[in-house]
Amino acid sequence: MKLQRDVYIAGVGETVFGKHKMDYDELGRNAAFQAIKTSNIDSPGMIGSAYVGNAHNGIVTGQTIFKDLGVCGATPIINVESACSAGAMAVHLAIKDVAYGLTELSMGVGAENHTLRRKSGTAFMPAMNDIETVHGGVMTGKYAMRATRYMYETGATIEDLALITQKSRRHGKNNPHAPFGGDYTIEEIIDSRMIAYPLTLHQCCGIVDGAGAVVVCSKEMMKKLGIEKPVKVRGSVVTSGPYHNRPRDITGDDITEMTSEMLYEESGIGPKDVDILELHDAFTIAELLYYECMQLCGKGEGLKFLRDGQATYGGQCVVSPRGGMLSYGHPIGASGAAQIAANVKQLRGECNGYQVEPIPKVAMSHVTGGGLSGTEHAACTMHMITADW
Amino acid sequence: MAEKKKVKKEKEPDITFYHPDLLAVPENEPPYLKGYKCKKCGQLDFPKVAPCPNCWGEEFEMVPLSRKGILYSFSDLYIGQPGLETPYICGYIDLPENVRIFAMLKGEVNTFKCDEEVELTTGQIRMNADGLPITSYMFQKA
Repeated sequence: MKLQRDVYIAGVGETVFGKHKMDYDELGRNAAFQAIKTSNIDSPGMIGSAYVGNAHNGIVTGQTIFKDLGVCGATPIINVESACSAGAMAVHLAIKDVAYGLTELSMGVGAENHTLRRKSGTAFMPAMNDIETVHGGVMTGKYAMRATRYMYETGATIEDLALITQKSRRHGKNNPHAPFGGDYTIEEIIDSRMIAYPLTLHQCCGIVDGAGAVVVCSKEMMKKLGIEKPVKVRGSVVTSGPYHNRPRDITGDDITEMTSEMLYEESGIGPKDVDILELHDAFTIAELLYYECMQLCGKGEGLKFLRDGQATYGGQCVVSPRGGMLSYGHPIGASGAAQIAANVKQLRGECNGYQVEPIPKVAMSHVTGGGLSGTEHAACTMHMITADW
Repeated sequence: MAEKKKVKKEKEPDITFYHPDLLAVPENEPPYLKGYKCKKCGQLDFPKVAPCPNCWGEEFEMVPLSRKGILYSFSDLYIGQPGLETPYICGYIDLPENVRIFAMLKGEVNTFKCDEEVELTTGQIRMNADGLPITSYMFQKA
């Protein structure tokens, strides 16, 4: 999407992730109200439009979240679903409204509660009308097959994959929003129960509840609100997964390669200039492959990039500084919006105890969405934001 | 007033095969998967996609696919779909017709390897809504 005018992020909100008794709407409202307050918005009428990402909590989720905030009425509230990409896609649509001058201020929210409704002990899967699903396909299996092939081709081991969990959970250790952050040994990670060979429990994101919210606005509105640390949206890209049932290299990811390429082009910011990155690390293998797909390093150099410390504090790009999905868990519709919220807080230096130093200037986020037979993922949404003060 | 007689509708017969467009099991002969070749552009697909996503052609010729292929990758699943018994194994099989098939694998966990030869077979993949087994294609070591 070519931004037709400057778009800024005024404020963000996120809930603690984890197992909540609060349903998705209360979580979403908490995150949205936090974003509203940190944006200095003082009346519901200022919100020109709102988009809400959710995957599993039913119908009219956006209106359910926003009615208590007094926003329902002339304000269009649009519900967005694209599995894991939904929250980021909601933010993308809010950006689009401001970029094209349809509104001066819009919101993107992602909210999800899985644990109140979902049967535990089963894996997420595409819909039952998908031929792979009928034949037993689940998302863990899809990622596990990537890992199997990657290990076969490169000689990488489960211990190597476990390094990703160890790094990300260390990043999330002091982040109060990340329930799974902490110090883990490689043995603890590989000795946890097998979910889908070669991915063990600690190599998979937890199924949790949570919400994230992002307020975007025009330059004029940003001045009117008196935002001291405006974050500029430099690029926002949504794509859909190319479909074909030919053999493909699953140690790459066509949709992530395409989307990141488009984002670099749109933002004018290259992979080597990205200071921090929240990516779709639903499973360890994904992060390793995405280093390569996003050109943070060369093809086949992901493991070296990790081992050399290029993906942690002091490295070329701190990957998952909030702890990633491996520390947060993954409430499907919420994660994309929460990633952006976390990135904004890093750029503003608000992450006491897990702040990246020196304070980053450029932050990128990435969420794919779902799976479908003949695609790697059904959707991909990426954002590039920069400090602008 | 005469009481309305309730007629219970006869239930549709159960599908023991997942879909006849996918798989043929001839008597006394090995099963084969059905590929579909677009008569307009020649693209071969499995499963059948209509219209042809390449040229929007709407006529197809059925082409039996090779029974043997190469196991590109696999996973032993210990947490699966609701209602499926674990562990089960799934994999991607590349056929010589330049088609990739996702399928369940018949065999023991911890025994499959990338790039080994596998062959088509049939087997029970899951239960249907009535709790009856659905038979479909699977692959096993050649």
